[in-house]
Amino acid sequence: MKSNLSTVSRSATVHTKPRFSIAKPLVYLLLGILFVTQLYPLIWLGIYSLKNNEEILSGSFFSLPAVPQWVNFQNAIEAGNYFRYLSNSVFVTTVTMACVLLLSSLVAFAISRFRWRYGQIVMLVFLVGMMIPMQATLLPLMIIFKNLSLLNTHASIILPYIAFQTPIAVFILSGFMKSIPNEIEESAIIDGAGIFRIFRSIIMPVSIPPMMTVCILTFINIWNEYILAATFISSERLKTLPFGVYSFVSQYSVNYGAIGAFLVLGALPVILIYFLLADKITKGMVAGAVKG
Amino acid sequence: MKVLRVSKLTIALFVLPCLLLYICLVFVPILVSLYSGLLDWNGIGESTFVGLENFTNLFFNDKVFWPAVKRTLMFAVFSMAEIPIALFIAILLNRFIRRPNFLVSSYFLPVILSVVIIGQLWMTIYNPASMGGMLNQILEALNLKSWTRSWLTDPAIAMYSIYFVALWQYLGYHTLIQFTGIQNIPADLYEAAKIDGAEGLKADWHITFPMNIPIFKISIVLAFIGSLQAFDMIMVMTGGGPANATDVIATHMYNMSFKSMKYGYGSSIAAFLVGVCLVATIIINYLFNRLERKYS
Repeated sequence: MKSNLSTVSRSATVHTKPRFSIAKPLVYLLLGILFVTQLYPLIWLGIYSLKNNEEILSGSFFSLPAVPQWVNFQNAIEAGNYFRYLSNSVFVTTVTMACVLLLSSLVAFAISRFRWRYGQIVMLVFLVGMMIPMQATLLPLMIIFKNLSLLNTHASIILPYIAFQTPIAVFILSGFMKSIPNEIEESAIIDGAGIFRIFRSIIMPVSIPPMMTVCILTFINIWNEYILAATFISSERLKTLPFGVYSFVSQYSVNYGAIGAFLVLGALPVILIYFLLADKITKGMVAGAVKG
Repeated sequence: MKVLRVSKLTIALFVLPCLLLYICLVFVPILVSLYSGLLDWNGIGESTFVGLENFTNLFFNDKVFWPAVKRTLMFAVFSMAEIPIALFIAILLNRFIRRPNFLVSSYFLPVILSVVIIGQLWMTIYNPASMGGMLNQILEALNLKSWTRSWLTDPAIAMYSIYFVALWQYLGYHTLIQFTGIQNIPADLYEAAKIDGAEGLKADWHITFPMNIPIFKISIVLAFIGSLQAFDMIMVMTGGGPANATDVIATHMYNMSFKSMKYGYGSSIAAFLVGVCLVATIIINYLFNRLERKYS
């Protein structure tokens, strides 16, 4: 009887075993085709970026460049202000991330751990905000920022970025903080710890995993954001990477290789980070999909 | 039971910085937008209060608006049609592949790239063959020269070319979400089904499908609301052209506000968009609550 049970459970753990052997090659084929369609455009872009104009215009789509044209990358970096855009993006994203983390964890702590009447209402306010499309605020924000003479500064994009990232951050963090056992605080209070002490030395360290999720979400959303930056920023020296890529492409519209190179350079930071943190990023993005 | 009793001042210190920033930058602009939707205003000079005139113009006299709404809804329909496909892929990945995570993360890669990169990449792919466009070159190589098109400048197909890019980019996201959902279904359910004689597709119909309903909700909200807000990719690839053939609600709003300088009119479109998003979210939540109750 006992051995019977164990075989059942073993066969169940390999429930991934297919029943029809004809199906298997078909599935592999399908998933393989999908792999190619999802990744080949990016690989093609990589090859494209190393060709000269003549090869791009006359060559076939799968041909390799005779001589890799690294000069395309040189052009993109020099003429395209690549490192200027990159450092702007790093700055804007880092500041946004730090502010989102701090502000939203304070609120999440208050919502999930304080005994007060309006916690649910505050949460509701944030939840409603998750449904509001960012584009709808472009025009009024532009007018408000114009009056405050904030237009064309990094603050004009960082502030809305923070505001639009906080709802999901508060949602994720407060969901996690609710699950921390109350006994921890009780003993901390008995030990005479104040509220800020509890926040800093107990809640913050425990909440590192959801904070990681918030960081990843903020990074992906803000690093890639284009429309707000393109609307509020006009100085060359303040542009973030996606906006920079866009301006480079519209400026050098006939230097195909350099455009390809700039697109590769634009995609590179995110791809590198994805290689290092793929698991964390996919988990974070699933958590971030939970809107509404 | 929550144990922390704190003074009002402490609560304020914790909540207000974030809440105020949030209200000032999200709710105040929306309210401003609702109000300026009632104005005839170019953003700089005097504004005149015109009541609901912008809205009546929008609904009855604007030749671009309803086609844009239709395209936005089509966008949503296509995006949602992608979800069953993603579920199917996720089931296959889970059943046939020993280490599916590599494939799942590969499919997901396009999701994390900026729409500017994705948009420009596909503009390059859609280029005429003589400008190095991959798609037309492939068609020519396959002797299908008659199929080659100027994918983004032909008004009849430009919108479909954009739908395709969006579907391509987000397929990996939906696959990932469905895949995560399937992995969270307890394995003993499948064991029990197997004993009862249900395997493969039959087990999927009776277990995977109902168990994944909350996950469908996530995907559908993402697809539907995402499509209503579809904007960046179109701005990057066509800007709404040629001849408004790819305008959706959000791009129409942007073009009216920032190109035609009709701030009041643009605000009324923005207000319409916010309203549609709120209503859609409420309806989806209501439908799924009923569905979940039925299956649980």
